[in-house]
Amino acid sequence: MNLNTLKNKNLAEVTKLLNSKDREALVERFVALGLPSKKSEEYHYFNVEKLLDKEYKTLNYMPKTLEVSERIEIVDGVVVAAPKGMRVYSEACKQIDMDHFDPLYYLGHLLSPQTIKIELDGDTHVEIEHKYTQSDALINYRIVLYNQANRHSTVYENFINEKIENTLVMYGFDMHIAQDSTLRLVKLHSMQKCGYSLIASHKINVAKNANALYKSFDLGSDQALQLLKVELDEYAHVDAGHLLYLNDDSKRGTVSQIVHRGEHSTSKQEAKNILDGAARGIFDALIRVEHSAKFTKAEQNSKSILLHDDAYMASKPQLEIYIDELEASHGSTTGQLDKKQLFYLQSRGITYVEARKMLVIAFANTLIEQVKDARHQERIKNAFEEIFYAGQKG
Amino acid sequence: MSTVMKIENLEAKIGDKHILKGLNLELEAGKVHAIMGPNGAGKSTLSKTIVGHYDVEITGGDITYKGKSIVDMDAEERALEGIFLSFQHPVEIPGVNNAYFLRTALNAKLKHQGKEELNAAEFLRAMKKHLEMLGMKSDMISRSLNEGFSGGEKKRNEILQMLILEPEVIILDEIDSGLDIDALRQVSEGINKMKDGKRTFLVITHYSRILDYIEPDYIHVLKDGKVIKTAGSELVPYLEEHGYDGIKED
Repeated sequence: MNLNTLKNKNLAEVTKLLNSKDREALVERFVALGLPSKKSEEYHYFNVEKLLDKEYKTLNYMPKTLEVSERIEIVDGVVVAAPKGMRVYSEACKQIDMDHFDPLYYLGHLLSPQTIKIELDGDTHVEIEHKYTQSDALINYRIVLYNQANRHSTVYENFINEKIENTLVMYGFDMHIAQDSTLRLVKLHSMQKCGYSLIASHKINVAKNANALYKSFDLGSDQALQLLKVELDEYAHVDAGHLLYLNDDSKRGTVSQIVHRGEHSTSKQEAKNILDGAARGIFDALIRVEHSAKFTKAEQNSKSILLHDDAYMASKPQLEIYIDELEASHGSTTGQLDKKQLFYLQSRGITYVEARKMLVIAFANTLIEQVKDARHQERIKNAFEEIFYAGQKG
Repeated sequence: MSTVMKIENLEAKIGDKHILKGLNLELEAGKVHAIMGPNGAGKSTLSKTIVGHYDVEITGGDITYKGKSIVDMDAEERALEGIFLSFQHPVEIPGVNNAYFLRTALNAKLKHQGKEELNAAEFLRAMKKHLEMLGMKSDMISRSLNEGFSGGEKKRNEILQMLILEPEVIILDEIDSGLDIDALRQVSEGINKMKDGKRTFLVITHYSRILDYIEPDYIHVLKDGKVIKTAGSELVPYLEEHGYDGIKED
């Protein structure tokens, strides 16, 4: 399959090509937004055209009998294992956002009408492990995540790298965070010349008085983009943090929209970006406060450190506000490692490489230390160090 | 006299400004040398030049340490060889844990000496006595390096590093600035503890106050990028009375 065949096609043509007669509303949204190109604002910095204009083999996503495991294991878009008693099953997605900004959100749903549904019962911690084994493939899957009212859940998302080539992964969450509940999602995606590119298109609904925490740690090289839309009901809160640590000629980052719909909703979004080599980082983030969202608070910040002359950060924090009764701030800074700090460490006998590592980790630490679980925090720190030393070897 | 460091005809600039203009200085091993001089004489530039600061460009002359030129060495190599600068204004490094920093620096030194590195528990045990002597609260080593430290705490932390790393040539750049009497006494105590007749001190100061606590063997007066006079501690009261303008070049 070559996704580029969907370019500039009308409703009937796309419906036919995707064989999705009964999903006219989704096709309509996809056609209205169009297949992404470098002219699309949300994919402007990402070279998406090259990824879409390739012939990929398509896979069969046949549900399997699940093995019992400590974590939910998804291999090439199919769940193969899950913790005992956890409700994980295949189901058509019932709540699709009809106002998402990302055309690939709709394409993902059109290509995978059956989603992986995960119900988080009670106060729970769960790990989701993604693994890709197929070369030259288009791997597309979507996950629906539900939690219960008054409950507090944490999801740790991790990616296992296999040696593959030329694969495009499109996946994403539709998360529904119930009233008075909390859902924390901590994503660690460390990849270094892994042979696949990834586009993750998410939607997070945060119900009244609920909390969403979304912390993403994107480390290494290659090409990956997460597109995130969050909707906040009254008194809902989202705390989003994104750490980007890139090397080589990678292109990775976050494109997001946080939409305040309810009164007294609050959002905090913090991005820290460290770019080495000829890496390009992306933080294109909009916070929109609608007429209905009086007395909201919105805070957005992006800080970047460029470790190499060829590194480039596209940082675009934006606020779109339709009311006066709110508190909002946003900012963006880009700089280099502080020479004085580097020298201070070296003057105590610490090598340049170690001193650089200490400062880079120090910059990242404010985000890493927000992961309260010691094991997962350690895992992120280890992945960070691994990528750091890989970068030193060039 | 056994010379540990020899500075000959040293010329150095920062940016376009020539600051050191043919400076000569010999540091006798195991002695306390005080460098005094008016503002802009080049005192801090001298300390920066010795430790290999990136701001300084050496345009002439040489610095030898234990008979070996160090001008082409990186800052970390000089530190590992035993040269230590206590900074006038230690930088704050948010996110770098003080204990982690101190242990990394100590282990780098131990590794350089071919000795076994310390684990976290061994390190903390070794630190305890130093912290007590310097009147430092134990939580200071669990905080970020120098972040939010008062002026006195920063200077104490510099002395703590000196005590741990046990350098051979110790440069104290305006160590007394910003210290109250109690802090000055504790910092001086830490310095005096290191005075064992083997280590060499280069105390850079504007004022003679610190010299009441750390008795110098030599006073060198630095003016316009050169050492213009070297004498014993008897020079201190003379300087207090007549100021630097009253000093004639040797």
